Amino acid sequence: MSLPPFMLLRPRRLDEAVVRLADYGPEAMIVAGGTDVVPNLRAGLFSPRALVDIKGIGELGGIRFDPRSGLELGALTTLTAIAESSVVQEHYRVLAEAAGTVASPVLRNMGTLGGNLCLETRCLWYNQSTVWRKACGFCLKKDGTVCHVAPGGERCWAVWSGDTAAALMTLDAEIEIASPRGRRRMPLTEFYKNDGMDRIRLGRDEILSGVRVPARLAGYRGSYQKLRIRSAIDYPLAGVAVAMQLENGICRDVRLGLTAVNPAPLLVREVGELLRGQRFSPEAVEAAAHAVIRTGKPLKTSVSTPEYRRDMLRVFARRALTRLWSSNGGH
Amino acid sequence: MTAEPITLRVNGQHFEVTVPPNRLLLDVLREDLRLTGSKRGCDDSSCGCCTVLADGVPMLSCVMLAASYQDAEIATIEGVAENGRLHPLQEGFCVEGGAQCGFCTPGIILVAKALLERNPNPTRQEIAEALSGNLCRCTGYTQIYASVEHAIRKLQEAPVGSGKA
Repeated sequence: MSLPPFMLLRPRRLDEAVVRLADYGPEAMIVAGGTDVVPNLRAGLFSPRALVDIKGIGELGGIRFDPRSGLELGALTTLTAIAESSVVQEHYRVLAEAAGTVASPVLRNMGTLGGNLCLETRCLWYNQSTVWRKACGFCLKKDGTVCHVAPGGERCWAVWSGDTAAALMTLDAEIEIASPRGRRRMPLTEFYKNDGMDRIRLGRDEILSGVRVPARLAGYRGSYQKLRIRSAIDYPLAGVAVAMQLENGICRDVRLGLTAVNPAPLLVREVGELLRGQRFSPEAVEAAAHAVIRTGKPLKTSVSTPEYRRDMLRVFARRALTRLWSSNGGH
Repeated sequence: MTAEPITLRVNGQHFEVTVPPNRLLLDVLREDLRLTGSKRGCDDSSCGCCTVLADGVPMLSCVMLAASYQDAEIATIEGVAENGRLHPLQEGFCVEGGAQCGFCTPGIILVAKALLERNPNPTRQEIAEALSGNLCRCTGYTQIYASVEHAIRKLQEAPVGSGKA
């Protein structure tokens, strides 16, 4: 199936790219690796007048780590580069694990961090060809008036299905956003709206240009657990990211993030309150797992049942916390 | 949307084609350049049949806009044999029965080639992980892994370009 028509712009500098985006306004879309945008174009989900290909912008690449200032990742850094980075593996384990589970090796060679943080939301009723969507009835998010997942409501429940966002949230990451007005920074947790229709706080003339992870979280133990039907290629159906700091067996700090069950990746802040200052116990882990399944709200957005995805959240929370907390190495 | 001339470097050769900006690299390769080794499988970036190398890195040509890859050196399965001599990976697929219907084979050979260039002696687990995005419905993968292992042995005996047969 061919793609709809569009103009292709290939700016070489970030300031030029944001001006191009401003020129075309809502009729422009950003493309980098293309692994999310191109299949969605093919499915008829978007019809932009201009596609702004940012791959050629050299200043958006690279991984830099400084023990004082932390980690800086350019938005065009590929998921392969993050997963294989010795700096990320050593200091920010949860991110290396999450990046290493995205899609398949070949897709990770193309897909970028910026793209993974700005993914389109996914739903059984949305990520389908025009023919499929027409035959089954268009949905609220595209061309229709009813959400087939929750027909009584007025919200779209398409699911946030990225892997790296939840991991980066457990690491207190900040994002940098460029626009014709300059640069601004925002905690990653504030970037997501938890609305399937309108997922991120990114203006039409803005580009997510980079990610910063603070130095004080370097060395946290980390684990990312992901549910999918096949162990490669598939998007997550549920995911749990944990970063934890231990001192003599006592949990000094812990953050737990969820993905692929709500319209946004979410931190379960209660887990930190429950576990900080404690020694490992199965009861403490169970209490945290309970908090996790109170936050995760899978609905019938995929062919897997919401019950199974919810159960797996509990399993993943237990598994990750136990693995990180009750052993010396953490892995 | 108007067609514009673009230049692509494929298997060491320059090609000039005039294509609209929404033209996928896979379509340019197959239809404009008649390099039909790269296959359209799922058309949904899930199967790996359309894999090509861009600057030595495996990528899916069904999600690559041709005009966006004018700066890259593209390699397809047609460029893997040198001077009429099969690459040890291709030989491995013949000897070990790594190809049945053959539809996934070009993509798999290119992923394996990139793997062996980075890691000349991968374990079977590493081979399986590298190929985990390439779907094969025929072989059950065992013969594919054996084919890659055949190439590993051959390359250790006589690296490509060493002049030895």
